[in-house]
Amino acid sequence: MTPDKLVQIATENNEPEWFVQKRRMALDVMDELPLPEIQRFDFHNWQMTPDVSQKIRTSLQPNQNFVLTDIFDAINEYPELLQKYYMQKVIKPDENKFTAYHTAFMNQGIFLYVPKNTVIEDPIEINLEQNSQAPFISHILIVAEENTQFSFIQKMTTTGDQSAIANCIVEIVAQANSNIKYAAVDELGENVTSYLSRRAYVGQNAYVDWSIGMMNSGNTIADFDTDLYGEGSHSEIKVVDITSGRQQQGINTRVTNYGKHSIGHINQRGVIMDRSRLIFNGIGHIINGASGSNAEQQNRVLMMSSKAHGDANPILLIDENDVIAGHAASVGQVDQKQLYYLMSRGIDKKTAQRLVIRGFLGDVLVSIPSKQIREQLIQTIERKLENGQQVSENSK
Amino acid sequence: MATLEVKNLHVEIEDEERKTKKEILKGVNLEMKTGEIHAIMGPNGTGKSTLSQTIMGQSNYHVTEGDILLNGESILEMPVDERARKGLFLAMQYPAEIQGVTNAEFLRAAINARRPENDKISVMDFLKELDKNLELLDMSQKMTERYLNEGFSGGEKKRNEILQLLMIKPNFALLDEIDSGLDIDALKVVSKGVNSMRGDNFGALIITHYQRLLNYIQPDVVHVMMGGRIVKNGPADLALKLEKEGYAGLRDELGLDVKLVDED
Repeated sequence: MTPDKLVQIATENNEPEWFVQKRRMALDVMDELPLPEIQRFDFHNWQMTPDVSQKIRTSLQPNQNFVLTDIFDAINEYPELLQKYYMQKVIKPDENKFTAYHTAFMNQGIFLYVPKNTVIEDPIEINLEQNSQAPFISHILIVAEENTQFSFIQKMTTTGDQSAIANCIVEIVAQANSNIKYAAVDELGENVTSYLSRRAYVGQNAYVDWSIGMMNSGNTIADFDTDLYGEGSHSEIKVVDITSGRQQQGINTRVTNYGKHSIGHINQRGVIMDRSRLIFNGIGHIINGASGSNAEQQNRVLMMSSKAHGDANPILLIDENDVIAGHAASVGQVDQKQLYYLMSRGIDKKTAQRLVIRGFLGDVLVSIPSKQIREQLIQTIERKLENGQQVSENSK
Repeated sequence: MATLEVKNLHVEIEDEERKTKKEILKGVNLEMKTGEIHAIMGPNGTGKSTLSQTIMGQSNYHVTEGDILLNGESILEMPVDERARKGLFLAMQYPAEIQGVTNAEFLRAAINARRPENDKISVMDFLKELDKNLELLDMSQKMTERYLNEGFSGGEKKRNEILQLLMIKPNFALLDEIDSGLDIDALKVVSKGVNSMRGDNFGALIITHYQRLLNYIQPDVVHVMMGGRIVKNGPADLALKLEKEGYAGLRDELGLDVKLVDED
């Protein structure tokens, strides 16, 4: 797309000058930027950057205690906040080709602003529906001011079965003493190739808890990151992932400790079926000066088929002496003891396998903040596993 | 009436690290009918648990000779789940823990595994049965919403095994050291659960070191196992005699050449 055309579409969409210029600058640098780096995972021939002209508006229920609104309304109604935070503080447009593409072509989005000292009891639930007829360049910007507490649940599904791309970014700004739970259940369709980047900036004594159910049926690369800037900041990132068919997924999950006494834990569980491929990279980075900090990670994958490919790579980069850091990684098979136990109660082998797998994913499942979403995710997992078992059966 | 017969059973176990095989059971014979409670006593390391695990079908135990018949039909070629659906139940010494699967969901799956696709147990019937059994075992309702055995104390795990027994209602239950690690109150509760199953359609094989459990669950027959064989059968008071004289006493009386594991 030409810069002029991009500017014209944005202006017709009633976007302010600074926002249009941000798009334009991102478009200018996009071609020169490298792809995001996903270690041990090759996706250089994925076609991820089509032109986009259509905008998708999102209607949301207004609330008295916080701002939850369509991002295109937000850029006009809350220009200062958006200028300060949108692709500015957490993720930058020029980090890689896909962040630049995102900035240039973002066509759907949500802005959540939670003012100081606000506690929101009920989880905020967002259902994102991607239509496979158009690229889906979705942005969620969450700004949590000091002393706030809330849960945010995001579901994402696809309607239609045409090939499409999705480029979805979530930015969270967690100011001092905020406490945020973010749960995602991603169920993009089989023909959707996606790039997901979710990142939090965590301030002093703030806490960000990520629970991510990666249930996409199509090829996916993902970057789940937390930057622990504040002293005493804390983040837990839990990811469950099931791949089947000929799906390819590369997941980078990174926590960087900048602040003293900051705590970052990564816990990833993957189930790899059929001929699919799943790479988990867990990256723990402790910056010089982050004394007393803690970085631990577990990356475990279960191989359900001899034709599946998978790996769990812990990567620890430590530039400070006074820290606690550790990692565990495993590539294994279904726990035979658990399987035996279930079967000894008369439960058939396939059902027992699914229950054992659910147990393997349990750490992440149990930490999802809504019972309803947890049960939905369990159903999705059951369905994916049943389909996967069926495919393996048929290909024997 | 159902029958369970163990005939001249020889079982070996493979040491995966050392790649060696060791024979544990050396010709076990046993016959049980529903309506009967049998107890197997014996010193440590004599093959009691091996017997129960082999009957259930645990794949680490290899039958090299002999047979196991359930209602006259050999079950050696049957997978574990099929044996269970045919009426066998093993209350395990070390039940597995599974996070993310609730106790209630697991119990329903186990009950439904025995029923045809178009006749699954209704939620009401299930809850009614569950409440009744929870009360019998003095267990709180919360236990059923907890994840399967996860974070359960030793006593809670044992109770949970008996809860499953009561819900599944097998023909034959193998109870492997169900008394280990239980205080006297828990022991009474567990025994109450097993006794409530007594009847024409239920038989149990109770494996224990100690006579204590048999004060609460009166056996019809006591078998003593040593060195991979059943060396003596007798009525309930055989257990009392053993308690008094010890396994070494019986061994010497029978003139057996068996080394007891805990003997120095």
